Amino acid sequence: MTLFERVFGGNDAVYGLTEAAVDAAIAANGEEKAVSFPDTAYALPCYYAVTGVKVTNLKEMKEALGVVKSLMTRENQLNDVFMSGVATALCAEFIEAIKYIDGAKPYDEPCYGHLSDAIIRELGVPLVTGDIPGVAVILGSAPTAQEGVDLVKSYQAQGILVTLVGGIIDQCQELGYKTGANVRVIPLGKDVTSVIHAVSVAIRAALIFGNVTAGDAGALMTYTKDRVPAFVNAFAPLDDVIVACGAGAIALGFPVITNDDKDVPAIPKSLIIQKDVSKFNATSLEARDIKIKITNIDIPVAFASAFEGEIIRRGDMQVEFDGSRVDCCELVQTKDASEVEDHKIELIGPDIDEFEVGSKHSIAYVVEVAGKSMQPDFEPVFERKFHSYLNCIEGVMHTGQRDMIRIRVSKEAFNAGFRAKHFGEVLYAQVKNEFEAVVDKCQVKIYTNPEDCTKIRHEIAIPVFDKRDERLSTMTDESVPVYYSCIMCQAFSPSHVCVVTPERLGLCGAVSWLDAKATNELDPNGPCQVITKEKVIDERIGEYEDVNEAVRKLSQGALDDVSLYSIMEKPMTSCGCFECICGIEPFSNGVCIANREYAGMTPLGMTFSELASMTGGGVQTPGFMGHGKHFIASKKFMKAEGGVARIVWMPKELKEQVAEKLNETAKELYGIDNFTDMIGDETIAEDPETLVAFLTEKGHPALGMDPMM
Amino acid sequence: MPFNRKPQKFNAAIKSVVIGSGDKTVTLGGENVLPFYAFDGEIKNGPKVGVEITDLGMEGEPESVKAYYEGAATMGEIAKKAAAMEGADFLCLRLAGGDPNGLNKSVEELIETVKEVADAVDVPLVVEGCKNVEKDSELLTKVAEVLQGRNVLVMSAREEDYKAVGAAAGLAYSQKVGAESAVDINLAKQLNVVMTQLGVNADSIVMNVGSAAVGYGYEYVVSTLDRIKAAALSQDDKMLQMPIITPIASETWNVKEAMATEEESPEWGSQEVRGISMEIQTAAASLASGSDAVILKHPQSVATISKMIQELM
Amino acid sequence: MALSGIQIFKMTPKKNCKECGCPTCMAFSMKVAQGAMDISACPYMSDDAMAQLSEATAPPMKTIKVGTGDSEYTLGGETVLYRHEKTFVSKTRYAVSLCSCMSDEEIDAKLEEDKKVDYDRIGERMCAEMLYVNYAGNGVDKYVSLVTKAAATGKVLVLGCEDADAAKAALEVCKAGKPILNGANASNYEEMSKLATEAGVVLGVSGANIDELHDTVEAIEKLGNKNLVLDTTEATIKETFATTVQVRRASLKDTDRTFGYPSIVNLAKIAQGDRYMQQALLSLFTMKYGSIIVLEEMGYAEALPVFGLRQNVFTDPQKPMKVEPGIYPLNGADENSICLTTVDFALTYFLVSGELERSGVPVNLVINDAGGLSVLTSWAAGKFSGNSISKFFKENVEDKVKSRKVIIPGKVAVLKGDIESKLPGWEVIVAPLEAVQLVKFMKDLQANGEL
Repeated sequence: MTLFERVFGGNDAVYGLTEAAVDAAIAANGEEKAVSFPDTAYALPCYYAVTGVKVTNLKEMKEALGVVKSLMTRENQLNDVFMSGVATALCAEFIEAIKYIDGAKPYDEPCYGHLSDAIIRELGVPLVTGDIPGVAVILGSAPTAQEGVDLVKSYQAQGILVTLVGGIIDQCQELGYKTGANVRVIPLGKDVTSVIHAVSVAIRAALIFGNVTAGDAGALMTYTKDRVPAFVNAFAPLDDVIVACGAGAIALGFPVITNDDKDVPAIPKSLIIQKDVSKFNATSLEARDIKIKITNIDIPVAFASAFEGEIIRRGDMQVEFDGSRVDCCELVQTKDASEVEDHKIELIGPDIDEFEVGSKHSIAYVVEVAGKSMQPDFEPVFERKFHSYLNCIEGVMHTGQRDMIRIRVSKEAFNAGFRAKHFGEVLYAQVKNEFEAVVDKCQVKIYTNPEDCTKIRHEIAIPVFDKRDERLSTMTDESVPVYYSCIMCQAFSPSHVCVVTPERLGLCGAVSWLDAKATNELDPNGPCQVITKEKVIDERIGEYEDVNEAVRKLSQGALDDVSLYSIMEKPMTSCGCFECICGIEPFSNGVCIANREYAGMTPLGMTFSELASMTGGGVQTPGFMGHGKHFIASKKFMKAEGGVARIVWMPKELKEQVAEKLNETAKELYGIDNFTDMIGDETIAEDPETLVAFLTEKGHPALGMDPMM
Repeated sequence: MPFNRKPQKFNAAIKSVVIGSGDKTVTLGGENVLPFYAFDGEIKNGPKVGVEITDLGMEGEPESVKAYYEGAATMGEIAKKAAAMEGADFLCLRLAGGDPNGLNKSVEELIETVKEVADAVDVPLVVEGCKNVEKDSELLTKVAEVLQGRNVLVMSAREEDYKAVGAAAGLAYSQKVGAESAVDINLAKQLNVVMTQLGVNADSIVMNVGSAAVGYGYEYVVSTLDRIKAAALSQDDKMLQMPIITPIASETWNVKEAMATEEESPEWGSQEVRGISMEIQTAAASLASGSDAVILKHPQSVATISKMIQELM
Repeated sequence: MALSGIQIFKMTPKKNCKECGCPTCMAFSMKVAQGAMDISACPYMSDDAMAQLSEATAPPMKTIKVGTGDSEYTLGGETVLYRHEKTFVSKTRYAVSLCSCMSDEEIDAKLEEDKKVDYDRIGERMCAEMLYVNYAGNGVDKYVSLVTKAAATGKVLVLGCEDADAAKAALEVCKAGKPILNGANASNYEEMSKLATEAGVVLGVSGANIDELHDTVEAIEKLGNKNLVLDTTEATIKETFATTVQVRRASLKDTDRTFGYPSIVNLAKIAQGDRYMQQALLSLFTMKYGSIIVLEEMGYAEALPVFGLRQNVFTDPQKPMKVEPGIYPLNGADENSICLTTVDFALTYFLVSGELERSGVPVNLVINDAGGLSVLTSWAAGKFSGNSISKFFKENVEDKVKSRKVIIPGKVAVLKGDIESKLPGWEVIVAPLEAVQLVKFMKDLQANGEL
């Protein structure tokens, strides 16, 4: 049988039952008999939400049935399946409502049946906050009572709200498993139609928490799909009625996971066949994209930032891993979801208790992550946090990064039971928590065999590091589709906005384009926002209409326009935290750069702090700008004015720091060798006259360039 | 030549948020000129003054505050007197006793107080938590629940607990939500953005953008308020157009100027007068920069500030 | 529109003669652009350039100087309406009001009271810098004797006097102290301006309303007197606020040069004897554009809040306030009490010391020199590090305190090991992350006998 046949068949059967039930009720009670659920302001909530009409008596219910019928189209399109599913659900609601006629109490302990508005408001808050990360609807009987209870228990342990329909209720009772709203395991009823009480929860949540207007079925389904993290676990065998109900669930965005593979056609992400009931939990969570918060890291010692500065001396140390002597490394790798089993911590090699006290060893740990929004560009962002994660463990000291790490574990921590796998527990928990937005699954492999570590370091890690460095150094402003804004320092410089591009990092030197990108993806409302650059105004100075718009908005109107590559025309503003300031030196037709550490005089006649007071504060100061050290060697440095050839003076120390890269750039742009030798410093000149004499002697290119002003 | 007036007209306005129910309501915000710039355009709704009481009753209160409340033995009676204070527009109950680092009263106990106060008065009500994020997410959720229908302002949702407080107060129980951030325009805006994304109606949010006593880093408060009002009005930034409420009493009565006894600092004169002075001057400064409501506790301060507002309208 | 440094530089002689005091013409140009120097400091500027530049670089609001010697104050010179845009230049100054209608005893008592409020707050002297001496029309001699008495205090005087004869006589006895003659109005301005000019003092101008004030200032400027302050006090609080704000806004935002002068706001006139209302207005007008605020009294009740407010508002928005590094014993701490260390950012100091005081536990609060930055910022900038802290303790603490326990901020827990290795003999304890948690933390330490 096809899915169509099954759903339509189930739907028709339920419709027939409903019609009969309504007619019978009218016969028994008359048309005017009131129908309602107790303690709700939403009449028959599902019907009301979908149509905007409140059914209050049997006569209206009869009319409503006609509306339901109109949903039951039979065109053999997927939409017919969904609409028939919805129709089935509405029918179920009518059948259930009839049970409540005359204030009857159709459900006995432990079943709840209809849930009141008050319970929904109460459950709704933790649902919205994520404290209840999901809602499971378990339907039918598990293969064995034990398997059923284990499944319920697994959800309960994750804080997921569980509702039970049918045989599973008996299975729980059979094993004496405790149920009830207070433990968030709610048996609804034993008839399949009682599943509507779970649907009713989702729908009233949309009305109450989603401001969805009753009758706006589109908005309703968008809300339940995006905001109500519910899913269905339906045990074999599935009859047509259950399949039809399942179609209704899918229409609301709730995937159905079943172990029935007979005559059930799988629909990717919606109707999933999982033969192994013990994997229902993992499959459901993945299908509904539910992430479980880790509140407790399972290690035998404390974990807190107070231990971050702990130093473990040689004598107190149980064991040491030292990347400067033997092969060690730490690495994050992005994997496909199918390759990662969440929370798997694997130790490959001997554990700490197999090492001699005070001995030195190799270690390599690879954190493998998977996620729909995960990007390899985030890998180094995660890795940079490892230092702080491992340091927060009581009795563990971590220094360095990449393949130059050193870790010491104290005797005390060892005696408390700390072992290698606990590194994995900490990394797992922290990565999952802190990067929840992009990490769906995470597993950790810890290697302690020297030969494994050597292999991982040299064959996997180092090539990855090299590739990353390469990517960073070859990325150009033209090669990326968007830039990012950064307003982290607006607390000090209210109108300042940094536009971060691959070749022009934030002027504090701390925020690269990749950092800004990661910040944006991890915290979409945070300080870094995407800036498009589609509408070029002036290629030469790097001015874009969209960049201007963003700057105008983010500076609250204080700035109208900025150029990315000019110091003279609409230069970018500076906050106060710039690493360097560059200012025009008119007598040599070039610019002088002073770095924050340099306290002396510059040929401009101003010190760094004098320059800073004139340049900072988010005000455009033509001829002056703040920037990061790395920007000096960029091909975009003052591109509009001729590029790095304009640099005529830098403090000696800074010059030495940037010499290699700057010389490369100058060679590439102008064919000049050893360009930095032509640049003055404080040992050569602190006034313009001496500087010009030096530049003339060296034949500095700036002297022959077009006047800057 | 006479003076050439150039009024600053804006094509934007601060949102009006109503708190309270029945015929006792108060509207915060609604203005479309800078604070007290009545010469630029009519100010429909002047700033409002709230009276703070805490669940601790009169414990630790200055003598003249106690004198005002003399005879009030229960929280209900205290609330009645507070609501009747000259110049008071609304009542603010601060649940200070819930702080786990302090008295650590249970949620149940505090909710009893909330009910008692709410039952005693019909004036618009603001309920403030204990400032502890974990406790407040539980406590304020419950507050929103038990005060259904009263249309109270629940303070505060912060970055850490905005989901719980926002969902309970703003969504489940249709109250107004206070959005609290720490003296930074971008944080204030970000919180409003995530609150509205959560589903809380932008018209149900009142901001508390942080506060301090004058002399205690107050420059940050000034600049945050100034910038928010500028962005809201001149840039028409919808996510900063929520009215601003600023708790003053809880900041000013704790600083040395108000706490030092006359024995400790004889030259400073009456401790009482100093406390009132800190409260009045901080409130006036806060209003001058754009607060749409201030929360005070001393009857003298409430009377003076409310009179000042009337004078400037 | 203001000129940029580059535009100014183009008009300089480009000689780098250093005669203006700057090492280069570029440096000079940047200072002029900022309003920090006057263009006339350059001896080689061509007349043409000078004329062009003077107009363009003239500040929108004049800087007016009053008083002499230690009591010389600068008023006005503001360039912005909000402190976050740029540092306000001239602090609000306060004048306590005296009147010739008062008896000698009243006057003596008031002067005596006024003397009492004179203290230091984070490195700044706090007192009402001026006296406002009002003439009630009850005899020139009486006024002169009051002015003489007031002048003897050394404070700057503001003569509230619209009577030319009285003003002339009063100026005779006090003009050396560069007072303000606040007495010009629409009917007497010619005479008053002449008096002020002859005596070499600043003239205060008032008007029945903002239009009359504008007209009168224009007329006085035509007489060649641009050494003015504007008394923006009107009949009511509302009108006074309107005039004060509009005068400042017109000059800075709408470049109405006629209103480009500092203001005087006289609360004694509008607060109507209500001491608390006067305080509310004191704060309001300190925030909104009073250059001189006249008030009935400046007791500690007024002073403690308003000087705190003024100190906050008139700061560089980009430079945090600092406190002096050193040891601050709290709650009766002595050399055996535990140390707690943090940075010299004023806000941090106030928060931490406040919480410590509330804990009641004796503790030596050790303030490091951290460049006035907050804990995390200074740590990130390397100004609050294991090195700097241990150095500070070795040089300033070890010989004064016997306890060898130090509590460090929770946010820099990472420094624990580093400090312990660089400060042998010291035990480092990590405090909680936030200052508000200190009370419980300190009490717990005390209860557990860990002090």
